[in-house]
Amino acid sequence: MRSRITLYITLGALTGSAVSLHAQDRGGTGKAVYEKSCALCHAAGIAGAPKLGDAGEWSARLRAGIATLYRSAVAGTPNGMPAKGGNLSLSGAEVRAAVDYMVRSAGGAPKSSAVPGGKRATASARGAAKPAAGNPAQIGAAPASKPARETPTPTVVAAAPSGTPAQAAIDPNAFNRLLAPPGGRNPPPAEDGIHDPGNPGIHALQPPLESFQRLPRANAGNRVNWVAALGKKQIQPRWDLGDPQAEPSAMDLNIVREVKGSMPDVVYPHRQHTEWLDCSNCHPAIFVPQKGANQISMAAILLGQKCGVCHGKVAFPVSECRLCHSRKKDAPASSTAAVPAAEARK
Amino acid sequence: MSRKTMTRRRLIRICVTLAFALAAFPAPAEYADVVLNKRSEKEGVRPVVFSHWFHRIRFRCKVCHFELGFKMRAGANDVLMADIIDGKFCGMCHNNNIAWGADRCDLCHSGRPGLKSGIYGGHQTLGPGRW
Ligand code: HEC
Ligand code: HEC
Ligand code: HEC
Ligand code: HEC
Ligand code: HEC
Ligand code: HEC
Ligand code: HEC
Repeated sequence: MRSRITLYITLGALTGSAVSLHAQDRGGTGKAVYEKSCALCHAAGIAGAPKLGDAGEWSARLRAGIATLYRSAVAGTPNGMPAKGGNLSLSGAEVRAAVDYMVRSAGGAPKSSAVPGGKRATASARGAAKPAAGNPAQIGAAPASKPARETPTPTVVAAAPSGTPAQAAIDPNAFNRLLAPPGGRNPPPAEDGIHDPGNPGIHALQPPLESFQRLPRANAGNRVNWVAALGKKQIQPRWDLGDPQAEPSAMDLNIVREVKGSMPDVVYPHRQHTEWLDCSNCHPAIFVPQKGANQISMAAILLGQKCGVCHGKVAFPVSECRLCHSRKKDAPASSTAAVPAAEARK
Repeated sequence: MSRKTMTRRRLIRICVTLAFALAAFPAPAEYADVVLNKRSEKEGVRPVVFSHWFHRIRFRCKVCHFELGFKMRAGANDVLMADIIDGKFCGMCHNNNIAWGADRCDLCHSGRPGLKSGIYGGHQTLGPGRW
């Protein structure tokens, strides 16, 4: 056995840096990335691509904000800009570095996009060492060359390294400060913060959105309604490791838990759970299989016990109050008993 | 204090806790991704990233957490590469039969260096997964 694993490890070592840890390299990439992946179109302005060094073109585009340019460069545009310039092995940071390089080439300090009139300020004084004072449009624009949480220095912006921070600074008075922007959801592996973008295998991994766009969406968690996806047979996860035909025998037994106070009562449905889980996943370690025998509270759930073993980690999260608290208080009064909604359905 | 105010206080407390829980963890990673890094980095390879979303499209929870015996608790499974190659843990499927095999190191060992074991992606409940 040992010799076999040594063999594998040697194999791994031979196939290059595949598994060795190495520091992420970001510095000085902007120009290199441009030359390799963008110059093809942007050097000569092919197909309407804004040319390198064309100040007029770039300043017009910059009015939409550097963040918009980043987004166009990463995701592509309908007018001919391919996602990541067609080189999908580039990381988001590399593409942004190339954008910075092109923007700088067209006149150094790009004007901030903080347009008076309340648009979201996506400041962009990237790489500029000039004082921004005197330009009214700059007011309120935090220097983008620093992470947003640093104190903004209103006048002198330190020259940014060409590897720029992952996110452009956001207007402190933005309408939604904490709500995650839709674009930041379900990021592809190379940009999700836990995968190493320097890993050569990264681009073999499937970006979640590629899969999720065919599934019913939800508001939280993976933003997929897994119950509906399964119900409509849009996904067919196996019930048995080796036998694709095996079917679960879901148990249709609802347990109503009356809740003190004003929140609607909790209906715990066995059916949706036994579609995914075995009885022994819950009984008896998490719940004694007897109605009312378990003390459940929101505090326990938030601590990761009871329903919180799965909900909030893998199944839909706790913020979706109404999926659990689904029964109005004034509903018919048989609420104390377990409700056999039907006998086991199959 | 009346019962009603007590419940209300509790409700407020829960809401506050929730607000913190929700605000404190911006969720860049995909919900329910698990990092396994008990040994990987010590042994000189990247941490392992396991995606629930990808696997739950293909298998019910029960297959891994009952049939195959993965404990439902981040960090509770002691996984050795030798076991995987022997057909245990991930190796029960990643055996070039059900799915591609253990030679594709960089598909599993894909995490950023320095990540701690545990669950990522904006989880809202505490417990073993939060380290
Ligand atoms: C195959 C040709 C092609 C390649 C390669 C290419 N681009 Fe483009 N790019 C275009 C075209 C065409 C447009 C104009 C599209 C439009 O106006 O929507 C454009 C526009 C842009 C814009 C402005 C988008 C906007 O919202 O105004 C940026 C930024 C950009 N490209 C960055 C890049 C980067 C970075 C690379 C290299 C990683 C790259 N491009 C590679 C064709 C290309
Ligand atoms: C129940 C079987 C099963 C188990 C156990 C399992 N996997 Fe998988 N895994 C699969 C299948 C099937 C695929 C899809 C293979 C394909 O696309 O060819 C897959 C794909 C993957 C992928 C690639 C995802 C992508 O984006 O294409 C990764 C990474 C992965 N598994 C990691 C792991 C790790 C790490 C473990 C152990 C902690 C593990 N798997 C355990 C069945 C399993
Ligand atoms: C996701 C977790 C989970 C799974 C999986 C699960 N149960 Fe339960 N079960 C519960 C909960 C929660 C209760 C309610 C306990 C309480 O009210 O204190 C319960 C209650 C019960 C009861 C008591 C009902 C009563 O009227 O007293 C029985 C019997 C039961 N389950 C059987 C099963 C069987 C059989 C399976 C497998 C087909 C199963 N459960 C799967 C969570 C689960
Ligand atoms: C062992 C893991 C586990 C535990 C424990 C668990 N759940 Fe679930 N629950 C799931 C999974 C998996 C689903 C499928 C939906 C998903 O993943 O988002 C689900 C779905 C549900 C649904 C169905 C939502 C719908 O859209 O139909 C409700 C309601 C629910 N859970 C309530 C509870 C309550 C209340 C408890 C505690 C008494 C509980 N769950 C405990 C795993 C669990
Ligand atoms: C995974 C299912 C689930 C979700 C999601 C959920 N709850 Fe609960 N909640 C429960 C259960 C189970 C109880 C316990 C009921 C009982 O006393 O038997 C409970 C109890 C409560 C109580 C009563 C006090 C206590 O702690 O027992 C309040 C208040 C409450 N929930 C508020 C909320 C709010 C607000 C949300 C949304 C932010 C929420 N819950 C989301 C399952 C859930
Ligand atoms: C199917 C997914 C998967 C593949 C493919 C894979 N590993 Fe692993 N590996 C794991 C998991 C899971 C662990 C346990 C992680 C931990 O707890 O740190 C692990 C642990 C390790 C460890 C540390 C523990 C030990 O046994 O020494 C080394 C070294 C290792 N893997 C090397 C490799 C090499 C080299 C390859 C390619 C030949 C490889 N792995 C392929 C999933 C995988
Ligand atoms: C392909 C195998 C596989 C499938 C399918 C799977 N899991 Fe997991 N699960 C794992 C692995 C591997 C871990 C990490 C264990 C570790 O870190 O030691 C895990 C961890 C967990 C944890 C612990 C998280 C924590 O923070 O402690 C929970 C809860 C969980 N899974 C629930 C589920 C639910 C619910 C489903 C079905 C919707 C599911 N799993 C489907 C393999 C799987």
